[in-house]
Amino acid sequence: MMTIQSVSIAWPALLPIVILAAGGLLVMLVDLVSRNASRAVLYGIGIVSCIAAFASMLPLYGQSITTLNGAYAADRYSWTIDALLLMTLAITFLLSSLRRADDGGSPGSYAALLIFCTIGGMVMAGANNLIIIFLGIEQLSLALYVLAGTGYPRPASQEASLKYVLLGSLASGFLIYGSALLYGSAGSVALSALAKPAAALAPLFVAGFALFIVGIAFKLALSPFHTWTPDVYEGSPLAVTAYMSVAVKVATFAVLARVVYVVFGHDSAALAPIWVLAVFSMLVGNLGALRQRNLKRLLAFSSIAQAGYIVVALAGVQPSGLSAMLFYLVAYAFTNLGAFAVIALLGDGDEAYADLDAFRGLFFRRPWPAAAMALFVFSLAGIPATAGFYGKILLLQQALSAGVWGITLAVALVVGTLISFYAYGKIVWMMYAYVEGEAPQAPGNSLASWIAIGAGAVGTLLFGILPQVFYATQPFLSAAAK
Amino acid sequence: MLINTVVFLPLVAGLVLLMVPRSAAAVLKGIALSGSVLTFLFSLAFLTLGINSRAEFSVPWISGTWIAAYHVRVDALSVFFVLLTTLLSALCVWAAFSYTDANRLRGYLFLILAFETTLLGLFTAADLLLFYIYWDLMLIPVFLLLAGFTNSPQARRAAWYYLIYNGAGGLILLLGVIALVSQTRTFELLGVQLPHLGAGFEWWIFAAFALAFLIKTPAFPFHSWMPPTYTHSPPPVVALVAGVQSKAGLYALLAFALPLFPHAAHAWAPALLLIGVISLIYGALVALGQRDMKTLVAFSSLSHLGLVWLALFAFDITSVSAGILMLVSHGLIAGLLFLLMGFIEERVGTRDLMQFGGLALRAPRLQALMLIATMAALGLPGLSGFAGEFLILIGTWQTQPAFTAVALLTVVLSAAYMLVLFQHSMHGPLRLPKGDAALPLELRPRELALVAPLIVAIFFLGIWPGWLNDRTPTSIPALDLATSDHSAAALVLPVKQP
Repeated sequence: MMTIQSVSIAWPALLPIVILAAGGLLVMLVDLVSRNASRAVLYGIGIVSCIAAFASMLPLYGQSITTLNGAYAADRYSWTIDALLLMTLAITFLLSSLRRADDGGSPGSYAALLIFCTIGGMVMAGANNLIIIFLGIEQLSLALYVLAGTGYPRPASQEASLKYVLLGSLASGFLIYGSALLYGSAGSVALSALAKPAAALAPLFVAGFALFIVGIAFKLALSPFHTWTPDVYEGSPLAVTAYMSVAVKVATFAVLARVVYVVFGHDSAALAPIWVLAVFSMLVGNLGALRQRNLKRLLAFSSIAQAGYIVVALAGVQPSGLSAMLFYLVAYAFTNLGAFAVIALLGDGDEAYADLDAFRGLFFRRPWPAAAMALFVFSLAGIPATAGFYGKILLLQQALSAGVWGITLAVALVVGTLISFYAYGKIVWMMYAYVEGEAPQAPGNSLASWIAIGAGAVGTLLFGILPQVFYATQPFLSAAAK
Repeated sequence: MLINTVVFLPLVAGLVLLMVPRSAAAVLKGIALSGSVLTFLFSLAFLTLGINSRAEFSVPWISGTWIAAYHVRVDALSVFFVLLTTLLSALCVWAAFSYTDANRLRGYLFLILAFETTLLGLFTAADLLLFYIYWDLMLIPVFLLLAGFTNSPQARRAAWYYLIYNGAGGLILLLGVIALVSQTRTFELLGVQLPHLGAGFEWWIFAAFALAFLIKTPAFPFHSWMPPTYTHSPPPVVALVAGVQSKAGLYALLAFALPLFPHAAHAWAPALLLIGVISLIYGALVALGQRDMKTLVAFSSLSHLGLVWLALFAFDITSVSAGILMLVSHGLIAGLLFLLMGFIEERVGTRDLMQFGGLALRAPRLQALMLIATMAALGLPGLSGFAGEFLILIGTWQTQPAFTAVALLTVVLSAAYMLVLFQHSMHGPLRLPKGDAALPLELRPRELALVAPLIVAIFFLGIWPGWLNDRTPTSIPALDLATSDHSAAALVLPVKQP
C-alpha cells in the first residue's frame, strides 16, 4: 500500500511562479476571447506579469526558504537567477513588439509560450532534487522548441525548430537516464543525498553523473555538444534568439552550479570532464566566431565560448565561485540582450539586419546605436570598464587559485579571449572603418528597443565601473540546500 | 582633484565635441584644442612638486573579493610622463586639424582626446586594477584611429596587428596581475614591497609583466606590430603612439614591476639585457635599410628604446635615471620627427626616400627643423638625445661592460641612418613626385608654431639635463638589491583581510 506524504507548501516562495503562470493563462484567455487582441495588449500583460512577479520576489530577498519537502529552494541564489530571468523575459517582450518581429502570426500563443519557458527557468533556479530539475528543463525546452519555429514560413526557422527538438530530446534522454542512475546510487532524488556516493566516487554515481553532464552540456551548448547552436540561433526569430541565448544559459548554469556545490562541495576528479568541456568550448566557440558574417550565428558561437568562460567560475569549487559565476551571468545577460536589442532596433526587428553588412559604416550614419553596439561588443570581449571585464577577472581569480586544472582553464580563457578580439573586433571594424560597399538603410528607431538598449547599457557600465553594487546582492545557497 | 581634472579634461572635451554638429569644423577644432591646451596648462602645476612629495587622490572602490581603490597620484617619476603626454597631445590635436575628411573629423579629434585620457590615466594610476584598465583601454582609440580614419588597406591591416599583439600583451599582463592579487588580496600595490612570494611564483609573475611590457614598448622579437602601425598611422596618432604610448611599458616597469619583484627582476636581468642590446643593434641595422621614412624612424625607436631596457636592467643608479631622461627625450624627438614627416608627406605625397629629395632648396626652415630633429635623434651634444644616451652608457659601463661595449655601436649606427634620412629628404637636387602640390613647400607659421615647443624642450633638456635628472627618484628596491645586501623580503606587506 502506498502512502502519500503530506506536502507542506510555503506559498510565498512559490508566489513569483504562480503570478507568472497566472499571467500566462491570462494571455491565453485574452487571446481566446478577443481574436484580434493586439500585440501591445498581449505583450503588455506579459510585461506587467514580469513586474508583478518581480514585486512578489522583493520580500523574499535575503531569505532562505526550502519548500515542497526540500525539493525547491528559494534562496538568494535562486533570487538572483529569477530576477535575471524576469528581466530577460521583459526585454524579450519589448523586442517582440517591434513592427517587423516574427511571432508566427499568433502573438497570443507566442507570449504564453515565452512566459511558460520562463517558469521552467525559475523552477530550475530553485530545483533541489533531480525530478524538479528535469521538470524545469523540460518545461523550458518544450516551449522553446515551438518558439524556435515561430519564424514560420521561413524555412530556416522550421529547420531550427526541428533541429532543436531532435537534439534537445536526445539531450533530455541523457539527462533522464543519468538521473535514474544517480537515483540508483543514492536511493533518493534529493541533491543532498548524492553527496555520499559522490564522495566515494561510486561507479553507479560516476556513470549517472557523466550522462547527466552530457545532457546539461547539450543545453548549455558546451563543445562538443554545441553543433545545434548556430543553426538554431540563426533560424529562430530575433527576439527568441535573444531570449534563448540568455535565459537557457542562466537557468541551466543555475542547475549545474547547484549540483556541483551541493553534491560535491569541493573539487573532485568527477568534475574533470566539465573542465575539459569548458576548454573545448572556449576554443571552439571563439574560433567558430571568426568566420561568421551573420551576427546571430556570430553571437551563437560567442555564446558557446561564453558558456565555457562561465564554467571557469566553478573551477576548484571554491566558496567565492558562486558569486563569480552569478556576476558573470549578470554581465552576460545585460550585454547579450543589449547586443540583440541593437540588431532589433536597426530594422525594427527585421531579421535581415542581423547581417554583418548592415553594420557597414554604421557609426557615421547612426552614431548612438553604433556606440551602444561597440559597448556591448567590448563587454563580450572583456575590455575594461565594462561588466564583461570585471566578470572575467573574477573568473581568472577563481581559476588561478584552483591548481593545475585551474591554470589550464585560465590559459584557455586567455587564449580564447585573444581569438575573440578578432571575432568581436570585426563588428566594431564594420561600424567604423572605411569599407567599400553599400549598406542597407537602418531606419528603425523604436522606443521599445531603445529601452532594451538602455537597460543593457546601464547594466554593462554599472557593473563594469562599480562592480561593488553587485555585492550588495551577493548570493549564497540556502543552508538547507547545502 | 587636480589630477582628476588633468586626466578627464580631454575626455570631457571629447564628449562635448560629440554634441556639436559635424559640419561646425571651426567649433570642433576650437573645443578640442582648448581642451588639450588647458590640460597641458593644468598639468604644469605638477612641476611645483618636490622630489619627495606627491599629489594624490584616493577613494575606496571595491572590497570583498579583493581591495581596490580609485587611487591616482603624480610623483617624481610620473610627473615627466604626464607632462610629456599633455604637451604632445595638445600638439597632436593641433596637428590633427589638417585631417581632410570633414565627415570624420569629429570622431578623429574625439579619439585623440580619448587616447590622451587613457595615457594620462595610465601614468597617474596608483592602483594596479586602475592601471590595467587604462592599459587595456588604450587599445581601443588606436585601433579605431587606424581602422576608421585611414584610407589604405595596409593601414587597416595594421590596425589588426596592433589590436592582436597588444591585446595578447594585455591578457598576459592580466594573468600576472590576477595571479599576484590572488595572493595579496589587494590591488593597492604601488610603492609596496611584498613579502617574498616564493622565488618560483615571483619569477613567473615578473615574466608575465615583462612580456607585456616588451610587447608594448616594443622590443625585439615582439615588435612585429610596430612597423605597420607606425608607418600607416596618421602623423598625430603615430606621434602619440611612438612618443608616449611606447613609454608605457618602461614606465610601468619602473613604477610597479621593479619595486614589486626585485628578486625576479635580477633573475631575469640577463635575458632582458640581451633583448635590449639585440633590439638596439637590430633596430639600427634594419633602419639603415629602409626607404620609407616612417618605417626608418619606427626602427630607430626600437633601437633607442632597446638602450633604455639596457639602462634599467644594468641596475646602476646613473643609468636608471638617465633611462628616464632618455624616455622623455625620445618622446619629444619621436613626436617631433613624426610630425615633421607628416608635414613632408602632405607636401610630396610619398614617404619613399628614393622618390623625393632636395627639399632644403625650397624649404630652408623645414630643413632646419629636420636637422635639429635628426641630430637630436643621433645624439648630438647639446640636444636632449645626447644627454640620455651618454649618461646611460656611462652608467651601464659600471655594471655591464660587455653589453655596453656592444651598445656603443649604436652611436655610429644611429648617426648613419639619421643622416640617410636627412640627406635623402633634404639635400641633393629637388625631386617632387607630384610636381608642385597646392601647398607651399615651406612650413607655414601654424606648423612652425606647432613644433616649436618640442624644439625648445629638446634644447632645454640637452643643455640642462640635470633639471630632469635631479628630480627623478633615486631609490628603486631592485637597485638597492644590487648595491647592498638588504633584502626587500624583510618588509612585510600590510594586507587587509576582507
